[in-house]
Amino acid sequence: MKSLKIIKPNNDTLVAQLASLYLTFKGVLPKEIVEFDLSTLNFICPLLVLPLAAYIDETRSKTIGTEKHQSYLSTIKFPDGIDTVNSFQQQIQLDKNFVPISVLRKDSGTDREKLETQFIMMINKILGSIQGAQSSIYHPITELVTNIFDHSNQDKGYLFGQYYPTKKFLDICIVDCGRGLSKVYKEEKGLNYSDEESIEEVMRGNSTKPGKERGYGVRTSKRVVCEALGGEFILISGNTALISNKKRERMVSLPNFYWQGVVASYRIPQPSGPIDIYPYLE
Amino acid sequence: MENEAKTTIQVAIVLAKIVGSRDLADTLKEVILKAKTRLVNLDFSEVDFISRSAAHELLLIKEDLNRKILNKKEVNFINTKHDVTEMIRVVAANKAVPKNRPTFKAEKININSLTKESQTCPC
Repeated sequence: MKSLKIIKPNNDTLVAQLASLYLTFKGVLPKEIVEFDLSTLNFICPLLVLPLAAYIDETRSKTIGTEKHQSYLSTIKFPDGIDTVNSFQQQIQLDKNFVPISVLRKDSGTDREKLETQFIMMINKILGSIQGAQSSIYHPITELVTNIFDHSNQDKGYLFGQYYPTKKFLDICIVDCGRGLSKVYKEEKGLNYSDEESIEEVMRGNSTKPGKERGYGVRTSKRVVCEALGGEFILISGNTALISNKKRERMVSLPNFYWQGVVASYRIPQPSGPIDIYPYLE
Repeated sequence: MENEAKTTIQVAIVLAKIVGSRDLADTLKEVILKAKTRLVNLDFSEVDFISRSAAHELLLIKEDLNRKILNKKEVNFINTKHDVTEMIRVVAANKAVPKNRPTFKAEKININSLTKESQTCPC
């Protein structure tokens, strides 16, 4: 079994986390069972830890070198996560400042919705329940999660977030190991798009679903994160990543890397007052 | 007509306090269809938020059930909090008169510039 050392992010920016994710998974074959060595990590962040957890779940890969972070990893239930409302509630009783990795299962139906609700409300509570700002927290999570079950053809989605009180920002990551964006366009509409073109189509709101009123979820989530909250947004599918903030959109090709599915991650500064998201929802 | 019987469904009990998923709107549709009355109120009093996708799906269901000839239902949204009201209004307005979607153009960068950027401390 190949052993992969998780590359330590150079700093705590989302771009550094993306670079670390890229360098970790670079050269990994599809569904390859590997051993992830976490011993050199000094900072565990959602954009790195959630794709790792999802990949481990998908492939039954292993981890080593977790001793330094055992307490935190155990608190967030890495790598297995929790998949029921009861286990979520038990976990947050044990530690009220951290939310565990949540595994949302399509076949759980309304229990999945209740688990997602618990997750979102806990994130909101940790942030301090700022009056008028809740919708800006709720909108991107609900839209990016519903996309998993609408498009990925996968029966599982992964959700994780971490608030950093001293830095006053919140990181959220949402992952699936489904068919990925280019395959969605290929299978649903017969369109042969590259990963880059697929991301562009998503951001233009060209949905694979019939009807002019579809295709708003990812773009409006990005707008709320970047324009309403002044945050940063990353979307990865296949071998391409989109990096967006209020000032610019950048697309980066990730050679020798392939994420089977979609990774959406974003960082928002802690809201300090009411935020009106509705102008950004189109 | 004012005295016509109504069924009231508590959305938070059937779904959750945050209604996010489009695919679960069908669960609500099944409950509505089982109602013995033509008038059905969806009570959102315990719902804190509805996603744009779920709001869109509920509006489609409302239209669809109102068009039916057999087992026709008139669905009303009641006791909606501010965020639920706003979301339903935004989606309904866009259904009626869609806005032009913004253009999207991203700058292409290569992996070397990304890794270089990741080595720069923002502090």
